[in-house]
Amino acid sequence: MITFIQFLITGLRLGSVYALIALGYTMVYGIIKLINFAHGDFIMVGGYSLFFTIPIMMNVGIPGWLAVVPAIVVCACVGMLVELLAYRPVRKTGNNLTCLITAIAMSFVLENLAQAIPAIGPDPKVPYTLFAKTISVGGVAISHATIITVAVSAVIMAALYFFTQKSRIGCAMRCVSEDKEAATLMGINVNHTIIVTFGIGAGLAAVAALMYIAQYPKVFTTMGATLGIYAFVAAVLGGIGSLPGAVLGGLLIGIVQSGANTYISSSMSDTFVYLILIIVLMIRPAGILGKNVGEKV
Amino acid sequence: MKQKNLLSLFLACCLAFTLTACGGKTEEPEAGGGDAAPAEEASGETITLGMIGPLTGSLAVYGTHIEKGVKLAIDEINAAGGVALSDGACQLAVETKDDQGDPTECVNAMNALISDGIQLVVGSATSGCTSAITSVANSEGVVMITPSGTADSLTTAMDFVFRTCFRDSFQGELAAQWAKDEGYTKVGIVYCSADTYSAGLRDAFTAACGDKGLEIVAEESVATMTEVDYTNQFNKMVSAGAEMVFTPFYYDVMGPYLVPQARSVGFTGVLLGADGVDNTETTIPDGADLSVYNDVYFVNHYSTELAASDVSTNFVKNYEAAYGETPNNFDALAYDAVYVYKTAMEACGASDAASVQAALADTSAAYDTTCGSFSFDETGTPIKNGVLMGYTYTAGDEDVSKITVKALSLS
Repeated sequence: MITFIQFLITGLRLGSVYALIALGYTMVYGIIKLINFAHGDFIMVGGYSLFFTIPIMMNVGIPGWLAVVPAIVVCACVGMLVELLAYRPVRKTGNNLTCLITAIAMSFVLENLAQAIPAIGPDPKVPYTLFAKTISVGGVAISHATIITVAVSAVIMAALYFFTQKSRIGCAMRCVSEDKEAATLMGINVNHTIIVTFGIGAGLAAVAALMYIAQYPKVFTTMGATLGIYAFVAAVLGGIGSLPGAVLGGLLIGIVQSGANTYISSSMSDTFVYLILIIVLMIRPAGILGKNVGEKV
Repeated sequence: MKQKNLLSLFLACCLAFTLTACGGKTEEPEAGGGDAAPAEEASGETITLGMIGPLTGSLAVYGTHIEKGVKLAIDEINAAGGVALSDGACQLAVETKDDQGDPTECVNAMNALISDGIQLVVGSATSGCTSAITSVANSEGVVMITPSGTADSLTTAMDFVFRTCFRDSFQGELAAQWAKDEGYTKVGIVYCSADTYSAGLRDAFTAACGDKGLEIVAEESVATMTEVDYTNQFNKMVSAGAEMVFTPFYYDVMGPYLVPQARSVGFTGVLLGADGVDNTETTIPDGADLSVYNDVYFVNHYSTELAASDVSTNFVKNYEAAYGETPNNFDALAYDAVYVYKTAMEACGASDAASVQAALADTSAAYDTTCGSFSFDETGTPIKNGVLMGYTYTAGDEDVSKITVKALSLS
């Protein structure tokens, strides 16, 4: 029983981080139909930003986790810059495929740019760990990081859902994702909406970075690559473009990974993640909560 | 606009290439080496050794220390008059290549050294990287001494690959013997099934446990050596009742991931690793609960605290004078590798790969090293002993401290 609960906790913890990252993928895809492969690298940007700011915060006497605020700002700026400098010009002249290649290129550019900064360099760094304490409830050990990760993710996901449903800019995002031309006709500034989406998506990645390094305290320039892939799979599994889908996909992948680790074989946990993806896509090609929209001709 | 895009793409490409190019830096040979004037006239010829190791990347501690050890040995040898060959004394130099801890890069580094005409190589650090270049060394006839590649399969009889460290089957047996001596009966294993080093140690440890009557109550694996999550594995160790868990991983995952996660699911027993666990103190995060690093032990090659021989005390003294820090076992083993080359070259009076290989293959030759005097066995692995080291933390201390527990030898 304890094993079961422990597996569930680990799964939820992993899943919450994947979900936060998957939200960024799904928001950007929803609005410009671009799979932003550089999204994983926003986590790296957030990770390094936290690595440098947490010690400064602690020295000044501010709680270390507040370093997430500058990290969100840095990530959002990087996200918006990537959109402004790379995606927007390419989108104007190219097609979906050129955008996709640009996204892959951006991912490498970000990783290599980071490596070129002398303070970052090619060697991994170990950041300050926050929430390192562990509590034990009836024989089950739960770290503070786990509780905070799950709680913060839940709050952020709920907030994001209400933001897109109720706020003006949220409504604008949904309009743009449904029909760009019609949105323009309705007086929505499409470019403005897209850039805000990038800002929010990258900001979420900064929060995910805080949660991630609290559990896995190591930052390196390629740290976003694998994380980004899991999150991308989560977004596709849940139905890319759908916010609740990203959350569901993230949690599902976290729990499947943890379950395969505990009950089947730890070297095969990834196999099960992709197996589930394939099965789900065979039954529901648009993902679990995705809307199956026919191609417009 | 299009032109601008092309330009930015081109710049991005340039950037990417410059960065990859930064990886393999070459050190110019240092003429003279050290302040002391050569004791005897050098014949003018310089023998350049090759060195391969991870100078950057997650195992950078290994490469940088190997480089320091090699340079110290070369400076000492040059200051003392160089290597005495049959046609006069030669100075030593080194050409360094970075393999980033990646087997593919390691092959590139080896090929680059060979095309530069280098015949004697020190490297690489990890078993995974070293195993990628042993066949190149053998087919091209280039001698290779790995300071720290411990996998059994690296050295075979009649080949060009030697090492200054012990092999995994030996250190796995040392680990199992220590566990038995400490009175443990139920042990667990967490290892990486896809890695030469980790899987090799697991096999050796398992076999030794069978011989010594230790029961393996649980065995779990991970898919890569860079895995970040070990909680489910240790969860199972706890439920299986393991008193001690054998963890053959490298320091880059021990400090930030494995040890804290093992404790976080309630595993309070001993974590026993092998030589890869050394340097874990460099990857312990600030703000972590340092008491979790108690009861972490590892089998190692060398400890400055057990430095008994003249060679060893001299090495520690010179190292501290040169670099202002205490050497670790990579410094010592790399330093040994250079001196083993020197002894072999002087024995055969030549510096070409074939002669040096023949000299090294002579199992009666003895080498005075930092770890005591040893001879190679017929495969090219030294016959030597190990030490048990560990980490300890007492409340109130600023840092986790590394301790030397005792010398280990097979009974």
